Amino acid sequence: MSSPPGTNLQNTGTPHLDEMTILLYLERQLDRARAAEVSTHTQECSSCRLLLRALERESRLLTRAMLEEEEPLPARLASFQQAARRSLQWIWMLTFGLAATGVYALYTSYIEPVQNRLQDAGFGGTNLLGLLIFQGAFWKGWQSMISLVEVLALVTLGTFTAMVLRRRLRRGSMLAMLLAGMCGVMLMPSGTTATEFRKGQNAEVTSSEVIKSDIFLSGDRLSVDGTVEGDVYAFGRSLDVTGHVLGDVIVFAHDVRVTGQVDGNVRSFANNLNVSGTISRSLTSVCEELTLDKNGKINRSVTSFADRFLLDGHIGHDVLAFNQRLDLRGQVQGDIRLRADVFTIESSAQVGGPIHYKGSKPPDVSPQAKLASAVDYEHVEKNERHGGGVHYYFWRLLWSGAFILYGLVLIMLMPQFAGDCIKSAENVGASLGLGLLVGISAPIAAGIACITFVGFPLGILGFMLWLIMLFSAQIVFGGLIGRWILGPTEDKWGRVGRMALGMAIIGVIVPLIHYVQILDLIFRIAAMTWGFGAIALTLYKRVAATPSIPIPPPIAA
Amino acid sequence: MSVPGTVDASQAIARARAGDQEAWGDLYREFAPAIFRFCRRALPTREDAEDATMEVFMKVRDKLHQYDSTRPFTSWLYKVAANHCWDLLRRRKIRQDKETEDLDTLPLEHPDASQLEQLIEKRTSEEVRKALDKLPARARMALVLRYYSDMSYDEIADELGVRRAFVGVVLLRARHELRQALEGLGTLAVGGAG
Repeated sequence: MSSPPGTNLQNTGTPHLDEMTILLYLERQLDRARAAEVSTHTQECSSCRLLLRALERESRLLTRAMLEEEEPLPARLASFQQAARRSLQWIWMLTFGLAATGVYALYTSYIEPVQNRLQDAGFGGTNLLGLLIFQGAFWKGWQSMISLVEVLALVTLGTFTAMVLRRRLRRGSMLAMLLAGMCGVMLMPSGTTATEFRKGQNAEVTSSEVIKSDIFLSGDRLSVDGTVEGDVYAFGRSLDVTGHVLGDVIVFAHDVRVTGQVDGNVRSFANNLNVSGTISRSLTSVCEELTLDKNGKINRSVTSFADRFLLDGHIGHDVLAFNQRLDLRGQVQGDIRLRADVFTIESSAQVGGPIHYKGSKPPDVSPQAKLASAVDYEHVEKNERHGGGVHYYFWRLLWSGAFILYGLVLIMLMPQFAGDCIKSAENVGASLGLGLLVGISAPIAAGIACITFVGFPLGILGFMLWLIMLFSAQIVFGGLIGRWILGPTEDKWGRVGRMALGMAIIGVIVPLIHYVQILDLIFRIAAMTWGFGAIALTLYKRVAATPSIPIPPPIAA
Repeated sequence: MSVPGTVDASQAIARARAGDQEAWGDLYREFAPAIFRFCRRALPTREDAEDATMEVFMKVRDKLHQYDSTRPFTSWLYKVAANHCWDLLRRRKIRQDKETEDLDTLPLEHPDASQLEQLIEKRTSEEVRKALDKLPARARMALVLRYYSDMSYDEIADELGVRRAFVGVVLLRARHELRQALEGLGTLAVGGAG
């Protein structure tokens, strides 16, 4: 049949009409002439008449089966009516807003003062965690990002308040309120003045120029030869900083050269970074080759993720590096923490603090090098560190097996809840938002509860529940992956199979991305947050459920 | 299609558009059961249907200003629900259906009416619903659009993304698959399914 049957209505060579034609006649889809033919035929032909009646009965059976009310309106749909008055999107925006506010408040209220006191007392966070998270110099450069989070949190909360109050407000007044709020935010005192934007083949700040604000540069070849009193944000193929930047430099480029002076921090994501000038604060670099020239000077710390790091200049504080190779020829006043394959300390090198080195080969240390103490070397198998050793795979396999077993027990014990969790995980925004919020706030709340004598058991219980949820989060994420691949199922063993498949896939992905350490971390955190949020969402739905209500009559079809 | 219950839909819609939350609540109470049932028929699980019902009403709320009040509200509502459910099914790619090209291959047959009668007679609504659950997404959706929400062939074609001329074929194929599913529940084979 080359054309649709509805338009090519011929008998099939038999004396009877085909089923398609009769169905179209029944559904009033034939043109008048053809319908008349079919009508005449069915009056004369008992077989076609019987088929017509059978199809008609089948249609009625279908309609009846579909319209019949066999189950009441689910409880959560009945209760949803209240919730439906406002868009759920706002709730999740609020969740994100609260989470961001919480993290910011936590940092400014608790961590920053302690860290400032420690720094005042002469302790510069030298451990890995401290260096990455709490060290003031590292955070300073992200101040603008924290401010952004703060503003976003405020805007989110403001918008949510407007949505809540909108029952009492007319559309115009709400708009006015929002605009006023926005104006208010814009009128708030700001650390920097208006930002300048420059783009083009050669975007530059010439040597005679003084930029009194932040500046965004984008283009092929970028250069800062003059003075910038704010921060420099650069996106291009190459960037040369030969002038003077009083703020920070944040750059994404292929080649970056700093020969001038940067009073703030430098955050660089580049292929090659060469520093022969002065950076008054810290340097964070993700690049293939990082070179600190003989004349280069960094007054505070360096955090480096590079293939090769040639350190020939001067570093005022500490070095944290994850490199393939580090060649040390210059001076480091503080500590060095390094994970690398090759570590060479040449005769001209000077290090004021301890050196902690993890690698597959012992360091090659020149006897003329001036070191405060001997290198604290820890041998790590190269393949193990990169997730390729038999030992590593054995443990990965064991862990995956343990998780699958744990998931199996969970699904068997609580099949409905497990299914609901995986279903909730499909709601990506809600799961991630709630995961972030509960994941952070629950242990804090548990800790606060533990301070009081009465709340102690509650705090401990809460913390244990949090831990159980954290361990189960990966199972939920695995179940979700399995569900994506094999589709949804209500069957208990079907869920187990999907979870096992998902966990197996995670078991393959993790060793693969383990080569890139930061990616591994990001994946794990995302998976945990996602699964955690899905569990929290399911618990919330359970708590929020109300009894069923009778179902009204159906819409007549 | 008519508006169920006691609420004057047109008035409630007008009030809901003006921001009256009570009117919105009335609309939800009035139409949620029908939309839930639609989603229940179209989607594979009850959980899916519950979520979809909520999401459909969120969309309806956001798009209420787009509703053309000269047309029946229920038609528009079902269209929103159908769009949502079909998008959901397509995103998941659950149980790949036969593509439009396959529709050409449906043979024109004249099945034995008595066998079909026999199959229908013995079947309850519950059994038909169970059989519907076993159908591929497209077949089930086609039957739901036609026999639950009473959509025209043009609307079904638009919804499923097939040519209007093929809608009859999609529906007939869906019926054949339904009969096969019913046979799977323990009855004789009927019709030219296949």
